[in-house]
Amino acid sequence: MDKSLYVVFMYIVSHAGLILFLYPENIIASTTQGHWVPIVIEVFVHFFILTVFLKGLNYFPKQNDLITIYTSAGKIIAFLFLVPIFLYFLTSNIITVRGYSEIITIVFLSNTPLWAIMVVLLAISSYLAIKGVEAIFRTGVLIFILLFPLIIFILVISFQNVDWHYVYPLWVEDFSFFSQSSYYKSYFAIGGVFLFLGFIRASIPYKNKYVLIAATAVIPIFLLSVYIPILVFGQATASTFLYPFVLAVDSINLTWFMFDRMTMFFLLSIIIFILLFISLVLWMIVRVLSKCIAPSIKPFYLVVAVSLLIFIICLFIPSWKDVEQLFLWNTILRFYVILGVPISVVILGIKSRLEGDIK
Amino acid sequence: MKGLLFMKSLLSEINKSIGKNDDLYKWSQDFGNIQVVLVGLSSLIDFPKTIQLLEGQIQTVRHSSEVIVQQLHKIGKVKSEKKEIIEAIFEGELIIFIDELGLVISIDPVPKTLNRSIESPSSDNNIQGPLSAFNEDLSTNIGLLRKEFSSVELQVSSYTFGNSQKKGLSLLYCKDQVNNKLVENVTKQVESNLDKMLYTIQDVTKMLGLPKYSLISSFNTTESPQEVYSNLVKGRVVLFLDRLPYALILPSTLWDMFAIRNDENYSFVIMIALRLLRVIGAITALVLPGLYVALVAVNPEMLRIELALSVAKTREGVPYPAFVEVILMLVILELIIEASVRLPKSIGPTVTMVGGIVLGQAAVDARLVSNLLIIILAASTIASSTIVGFQNSFTIRIFKYNTLVLASIFGVLGVFTGLFLVCAYIASKTTLGIPYLSVKGEMKSG
Repeated sequence: MDKSLYVVFMYIVSHAGLILFLYPENIIASTTQGHWVPIVIEVFVHFFILTVFLKGLNYFPKQNDLITIYTSAGKIIAFLFLVPIFLYFLTSNIITVRGYSEIITIVFLSNTPLWAIMVVLLAISSYLAIKGVEAIFRTGVLIFILLFPLIIFILVISFQNVDWHYVYPLWVEDFSFFSQSSYYKSYFAIGGVFLFLGFIRASIPYKNKYVLIAATAVIPIFLLSVYIPILVFGQATASTFLYPFVLAVDSINLTWFMFDRMTMFFLLSIIIFILLFISLVLWMIVRVLSKCIAPSIKPFYLVVAVSLLIFIICLFIPSWKDVEQLFLWNTILRFYVILGVPISVVILGIKSRLEGDIK
Repeated sequence: MKGLLFMKSLLSEINKSIGKNDDLYKWSQDFGNIQVVLVGLSSLIDFPKTIQLLEGQIQTVRHSSEVIVQQLHKIGKVKSEKKEIIEAIFEGELIIFIDELGLVISIDPVPKTLNRSIESPSSDNNIQGPLSAFNEDLSTNIGLLRKEFSSVELQVSSYTFGNSQKKGLSLLYCKDQVNNKLVENVTKQVESNLDKMLYTIQDVTKMLGLPKYSLISSFNTTESPQEVYSNLVKGRVVLFLDRLPYALILPSTLWDMFAIRNDENYSFVIMIALRLLRVIGAITALVLPGLYVALVAVNPEMLRIELALSVAKTREGVPYPAFVEVILMLVILELIIEASVRLPKSIGPTVTMVGGIVLGQAAVDARLVSNLLIIILAASTIASSTIVGFQNSFTIRIFKYNTLVLASIFGVLGVFTGLFLVCAYIASKTTLGIPYLSVKGEMKSG
C-alpha cells in the first residue's frame, strides 16, 4: 500500500519543528536586507538535493535502503559515507536535545533542572524509536492532525503587529551573506530531514511526487519564520534576539484568549514536532549501527545505549555558547552529508544501472 | 440378549457417574411393542412436550418395530461410547435406549426456554436506530445477523472449544471484503487452540495470541447487529462466543472510538458534529486534569493575570498540592463510577446523590478541594463517557493519569509530552498485523 501521506506529514512536521526554532535567527544575522534572497537560494538548494537524491534512489530497487546501497558498493565507500552520516545524526540529535531543553528552561520551566527536561525528551523519543519506524510515522499523522492547525492559527494571528514598511529594502546590494557562517548554519533546517527518505524505502513506500509536494508546502514556513519577526520588530531589533520568532509570537495579544501567552502553545507544538524528529533520527542511528556494526544486538538495547550517550554528552555541554560551537562544527559535516550523499547515490545508481546493462 | 446386557451395563455406568444429579430424568416408555428408556436432564428438556412430539412422529399403532427404529434413526444420531452419551446429555439432548436392539440414539428434544428474548441493548444505547440486541444464545445471535445481512457473502464458521466442557465460538466475515490474510491468521489461531477453554474475552485474547498487557482493547465489542454489519462490510472479522451477549469485532481501530454506524441515521452534518464532539470529548478527558495541575502548580504565569488570581482564590485554604488534590478526587470519582456499576438498580441513584453531595458541596465547603477542580473533574468524567464503547472509555480513563503525572512534574510541557506519549502508544499498537491507526482501506486488500 502506498503510504505517501505519512511521508508528507512527517516531512512537513519535522521541517516546521526545525525551521521555526533557530532558522530565523540565522537568516536575520546573515543579512540586513532582502532576506528573501538567501531564503530562496536555500529553497533552491533544498529542491536540488532532494530531486538528485530521489533520482539516485530510483536507480535502485525498492527494498534497498541507503545503508545497503553503500555497503554493497564496497567497504571504502561505506566508510566514507556511513560514518559521516552517523556522526551527523548523532550531533544533530545532541544539538536538538540540548538546544530545545535550553529554550524550555528559559521560557517556562525555570525551576526545573536541565537534565530532567533532557531525560523526558530523550525517554519519550527513545520509546517511540523502539516501537519502530511505522509507529513513528503514524504518530506523525496524529500529531499533525492535532497540532498543525494550532501552528497555522499562530502563524496567521502573528500578523497582528506587523508593519509592512519593514519589508524594505527588497533587494540585496551585495551577496555578503555567503560569507557569514550563520547563513551556513541555517542549512540545519533543510539538512537534517530529507535523508530519512533513503532509510524508509522498504518499510514505508512513497511516491516521489508527494515528497516534492511536501517540500513545496514547507516553503511558506521558511519565508514566514523570517519575515514575521522582521515585520514585527524591524531588522535592527530582530537581529538582537536569540529567538526572534518566539518573541514575535510573544507579542501577540488576544483579548478573548484565556491564556496570556501564545508562545507556550507555539513552543510546545514545536517541541512535540521535534520529539518526532529526534525519535526518527534515533531510529536511523540505530539502523546504521545494527546493520553495519552490531547486527546481533537487539534494537531496543541500541536505542537505550545511543540515547544514554546523547544524554551524557548533553550533560557535558555547559552553556549555549558551546551548543553554538557544536553547531558550527556540525555545519562542515552537514554540507558533506547533504551534498555528498545525494550526489554519491546518483553516481552509484548510474554505475549499477550500467553494470546491469552490461550483464 | 447381548444387546440387553450391554444396555444394562451402559445404563448402570451412566447412573454411577452422573446419577446423583437430581435433574437427571429416566423414563420407560413403550413405542408400539418396543420398550425404550428415555434419559435426559429435566432442567434442559421440556419432557412432556418432547414425548408428545416423539409419539406423534412415530405413530406407534400402524408400524412395526423395525419401521419405528428406522424412523428414530432418521431423526437422531446413534451413540455407542459412554463418554459421548454423557456429553450429549449435558448438551441438552435426549438419549433413547432401545434395550432389545442394544441401540442408543440421541435426538434434539424440545428445549426449555432458558434464553432471554431479544431485547434492546443494555450498554450500547442509541436513540434513533434499530433496537434489537444480541443475547447469550449463539444461534440467536447469528440469526439476528443473517436478518441484518442477508447475502451469500456472509460466511459463518463454527468451532467447539474445550475438552471436558464444550463452548461454541463462531467466526463470521464477509467473503469479498475481508482481508484474506486476517482470516487465515484468525483461523489458524482458532484451529490450533481448540483444546483451550474459553470463558471470557481474556481467554479469547490469549487464544488468538493478542497482547495481554495492552491498554487498548484489541476487540471492539458491540451489542447491535447493525454495527456488526457495518464492520463486516468494512472487511473485519467478527467472533461470537457462546453465552456472551456481545459480538467481538477484530481488529479494532482508533476511529471506532468516535464513529458508530447509527450516526448515519442522522443527517450528514449532524453526524459530523456528533463525531467531532466525541473527539473533543476524548481530548478534553485526556488533557483537562493534567492541564489543571500544570496551570495551578507549575505554570500559573501562562494564564491571564485575572484568571490566575481567581484560580488562586478558589484554592485558598486547600492544604495540599494540586497533584494530591486531583488524585484524591479522581480516585473518589472512579469509586463512584465503579460503585454505580456494581449496585442494584434500586440503590444506584442513592450513590449518585451521595457522591454528588460529597463532591459538589461538602468537599468544597470543608476547604479540602477547590471548586474549580470539581468543575474540571466533572467535565473530564463526562467527556470520557462520550466515547463509543465502554472498553474504550476505560482506555481514556487510564491514559488520563499518564498526562496527569507528567503534568505534575513538567507542567504544560508534561501535558503535551503526555499527549505525545499517548499518540505514540496508539500509533504503535497493531492487531494481527493491522495497525490500530489504520487508514481507510488498509483492512481490505489481501
